[in-house]
Amino acid sequence: MTPKERWLATFAGEKPDRIPTDYWATDEVTARLFAELGCRNIEELYTRLHIDGLIVVDPPRRDEHRAGDPGADLWGLRRRLIGYGAGEYDEFVNHPLAELTTVEELEAYPWPSADDHDYDAFCDMLRAVPAHRMVRSGNFEPFLIYAGLRGLEQALVDLVENQEFVEAALARMFRYYFALAERTFEAGKGRIGVTYIAEDLGGQTSLLMSRAQIRKFLLPNQKTMADLARSHGIHIFYHTDGAVRTVIPDLLDVTGIELLNPIQWRCPGMEREGLVRDFGKRLIFHGAMDNQQTMPFGTPADVRAEVIANIEIFRGARWVCAPCHNLQPVTPTANILALYDTIHAQGAL
Amino acid sequence: MSMIQTLYDAILNGNAKAAKEITQTSLAAGGNPQSLVDDTMIPAMNEVGRRYEANEYFVPELLIAARAMKASLELIRPLLTARGAEPVGRVVIGTVQGDLHDIGKNLVGAMLEGAGFEVIDLGVDVSPEKFIAAAKDRNARLVALSALLTTTMHSMKAVLEKLREAGIRDNVKVMIGGAPVTQKYADEIGADGYSSNANAAVALARKLMAA
Repeated sequence: MTPKERWLATFAGEKPDRIPTDYWATDEVTARLFAELGCRNIEELYTRLHIDGLIVVDPPRRDEHRAGDPGADLWGLRRRLIGYGAGEYDEFVNHPLAELTTVEELEAYPWPSADDHDYDAFCDMLRAVPAHRMVRSGNFEPFLIYAGLRGLEQALVDLVENQEFVEAALARMFRYYFALAERTFEAGKGRIGVTYIAEDLGGQTSLLMSRAQIRKFLLPNQKTMADLARSHGIHIFYHTDGAVRTVIPDLLDVTGIELLNPIQWRCPGMEREGLVRDFGKRLIFHGAMDNQQTMPFGTPADVRAEVIANIEIFRGARWVCAPCHNLQPVTPTANILALYDTIHAQGAL
Repeated sequence: MSMIQTLYDAILNGNAKAAKEITQTSLAAGGNPQSLVDDTMIPAMNEVGRRYEANEYFVPELLIAARAMKASLELIRPLLTARGAEPVGRVVIGTVQGDLHDIGKNLVGAMLEGAGFEVIDLGVDVSPEKFIAAAKDRNARLVALSALLTTTMHSMKAVLEKLREAGIRDNVKVMIGGAPVTQKYADEIGADGYSSNANAAVALARKLMAA
């Protein structure tokens, strides 16, 4: 099977020839792997490590920055690279909606438009993706952006104190995202396999917000986006970090997710056996290679043992083997090789 | 309903405006500021923490309760200082070098404040030297370190090394927390305690102060 066939079989509930694999890493890790493995591009890396990785392609902005404000992104957010020794992370440094109080002020804010994107360039980019690869297009994670625009704490407080305001902001953002997705899916007809819907609903030990808040503010728009994708024959890749066990039934029944990433199984409630027992018939598990302990600080033997444990635990369910979130520069190359070598050697189905 | 009960409710419901007004009224009527803290604020924040651990409250409810508590405490604190009242303990807190993610640190700081600690918040991306200088200058018994990233958590080790170099390791207790941090890691680097959430951090801080 090709990588794309493996993904399609998995989504169809059929048995692929082997457990599919995916790859998430920071740019520093990818550059290091290129250098150490003598790869010139991501296709060579995926071929070398037998990775079925999704290829992310989205319509580029005609102008990467907003008019008259070259330092800001499409939302008006500014980012700054923060060094931590082994690498750098892009962090929000302004919160342009922090001082706003009324829905009228929100409406007056210069929101991005689906017209700002170049769909011809998108089609060219799609044509450049090798036919054996599965394409992921579309990215819906509005509360993450809202938290950047308001500041994380204020964004969470808004769920209790400024409900009309947060609803209006999310509705305004949704208008942009929905129009963008409609045009993206239309332009990429027949080439897009998966779309990405996400929101970080969980912390390390519990949900960040209540189920009621998630249901009220986030799930209805997620469902509409998922329905749009489904009407184009596009599958749903859903990402939420953390301990989210209690909200999985809502994600299945309301949003209608098919795949859940990243399965942080060390978090309470996220034990793999229980997830397989309760949701294994309806859900594809994506990730489950622990990225807080095993991948960065374990030995290659620990990584191999975790791959083998996952193969056993997810036997009978559907699993895509991948790290839980981006591999970080503290992760030794030997551990990354242990992951992909082991799943290649042991992952035949 | 008594004044005490309503301040308790105002904090529990995260009503900062009411908390401030009730505190003003109570103090104007000659209420004892120390007993407002001991008999109302601390029990209210204990209950907030209990509800958080029981998954009845989530981060939004914790944040608004902390804000209501602070609105009241801002009025009370100058009076306590004037009386020469000592806090339960002094804590220097911050996210470690390279880490800007501060919501966990802020929640721990607020819960400690709500438990009667004096919290010296150094903010984010704090160098080991700054932690050491603040612990020395403010005569803090506790240093609380937070990290969200696997790439930044190792700055915690650097803080402990600098405390040893500065010769004040035995004067302070170090507690650590954050998503990738574990008890095992605390043991490895020689920290005095680890907590997985803001409520447990208060219990840990009390235990360390008593040790």
